[in-house]
Amino acid sequence: MDLLDPTREAFALLLRGDPDLLQIIWLSLWLSVTAIVLIAPPSIALGVLLAKRRFPGQRAVMVVVQALLSFPTVVLGLAIYMMLSRRGPLGAYELLFTPTAIVIGYMAIAFPILVVFTVSAVQGADPRAFETARSLGAGRVHAAITTLWEVRFGIMAAVVNAFGRVVSEVGCAIMVGGNIAGVTRNMPTAIALETSKGDFAQGIALGIVLMALALGINIVLALLQGEGGLK
Amino acid sequence: MTQALLEAAGIKRRLGANQVLAGVDMRLARGQGYVLSGDNGSGKTTLLRILAGLEQADAGVLQLRDERAALPRYPDAWRKNIVYVHQHPYLFHTSVVANIAYGLKARGAARERCVPEVEAAIDWAGLREVVQVPPHKLSGGEKQRVAMARAKVLAPQLLLLDEPTANLDADGRGRVLDLLASLCAEGVSVLIACHDRELIELPAVQRFHLEQGKLG
Repeated sequence: MDLLDPTREAFALLLRGDPDLLQIIWLSLWLSVTAIVLIAPPSIALGVLLAKRRFPGQRAVMVVVQALLSFPTVVLGLAIYMMLSRRGPLGAYELLFTPTAIVIGYMAIAFPILVVFTVSAVQGADPRAFETARSLGAGRVHAAITTLWEVRFGIMAAVVNAFGRVVSEVGCAIMVGGNIAGVTRNMPTAIALETSKGDFAQGIALGIVLMALALGINIVLALLQGEGGLK
Repeated sequence: MTQALLEAAGIKRRLGANQVLAGVDMRLARGQGYVLSGDNGSGKTTLLRILAGLEQADAGVLQLRDERAALPRYPDAWRKNIVYVHQHPYLFHTSVVANIAYGLKARGAARERCVPEVEAAIDWAGLREVVQVPPHKLSGGEKQRVAMARAKVLAPQLLLLDEPTANLDADGRGRVLDLLASLCAEGVSVLIACHDRELIELPAVQRFHLEQGKLG
C-alpha cells in the first residue's frame, strides 16, 4: 500500500481548510469541551467528598467509580443506547443519534477519570495546607478551596486526561451518535469510517489533528504547571 | 497576677492505648512568652494543636479571656485570636506576598488594608530580599519567617509555634528568636514547643515541662 499519496493528500486537505474536515474537527472539539465543562464540576466535587469525608457507602461508591474506569466504552455506549432508544426510559426525548447523545456518552466516560484523579490529587494534598488555612482564619469551605487550589495541577491533569480520552473516543460515539455526516461524525468515528472505505487521506488528516491536539494540550498543561507541576 | 489570656483545665487526649495528655492545666498571660518542653512523643504538639482547635481533646475546658469552651467543642471565632505555626510551616504554592496576605484576605480585609500591612510584615521579618522567590525555594529559616510574618499581620493574641528553631542554623535560629522577642514586646502571647536549649534558657520566658501527660 502506498502511503505517500494519501499522506500528501491529507496535508493538502489540512492546508486548504477542507470544509468537511473542519466541520468534523469543530464538532469533535465542541462535543468534547461541552461534556467536560458539564461533568467536571460535579465529578471534582464528588472526588473531594470521597477524599475528605467518611460516610456510609463511601467505599462502595469508590469501587463503582473505579469499575467504571475500566468499563469498555462500547459497554457504556450500549447502556446509554438502551436508555436513549425509543423503548428506553429516556426514549421520549429522542436524543439517540444526536450530538446530545454523544455528550452524554462522553460525560459518562469522563466522569470516573475526573473523580479518581481528583481523589488521588486531594488525598495527596499536604494536610498542613487545610490546617494552615484554618488556623489563619479561613472557614471550612474556604480552607477546602485553598487545599483544592494547592493540588490544582493534579486537578488540571484530571481534566486534560478526561478531555484526551473523550476527544479520541470511538466506540461509544458510534453507538449513540450513529456517525451521521454533519451531525454526529467526529474525528475518531470519521477516521474509522474513512479507513474502512479505503479513503486514507481524510483519516490521516484527522489523525494528525488528533495527535497535534494531544501534544498541544500536554504542552499547555506542562507550561501551566511550570515548576509547580514538577514538585 | 497578670490577667489571663487563655486558661486550660483538665485537658485529656488519648491516642490508642497511649494517654498522651492526662489532665493538663495551663494559664497563659497576655504578652508573655512561654516555652513548653518535653521529650519526643510527650504530647507537646498535641497540646498546641488542641489549643489551636486543630485537634480534638477528649475532655477539658478552655477559657479565652471571658469565653469558656468545654472541649471538644472549639469556638470558630477563637481562630481569629489564636494562630498555630507548624514545625515545618506550610507555605501555599503562590508567592511570599500572597502567603502573608492569606489570613487577612480570609478574614475579608480590604486590599487597601492588606497592602501596607503585608509590606510592613515583609520588612519586619527581613524578607524583602526573598519576596520574589517562589515559596518552595525558600530555606527553612526563611519559610519560618514567612510563617511568622503571616501570623503577625493577623495581630493574634496568642501565637503557638511548634519547634520553630528545629533544624535551623545559628543565624536562622537567631533571627527567629529576635522575631519572637519582638512579638512578645508587642503584647502577643507566644507559646513555643521545643527541645532547643537556647530557647528553653531564654531569660524572659516562663517554662512548662510536659511529662507523662501532665505539666510540671
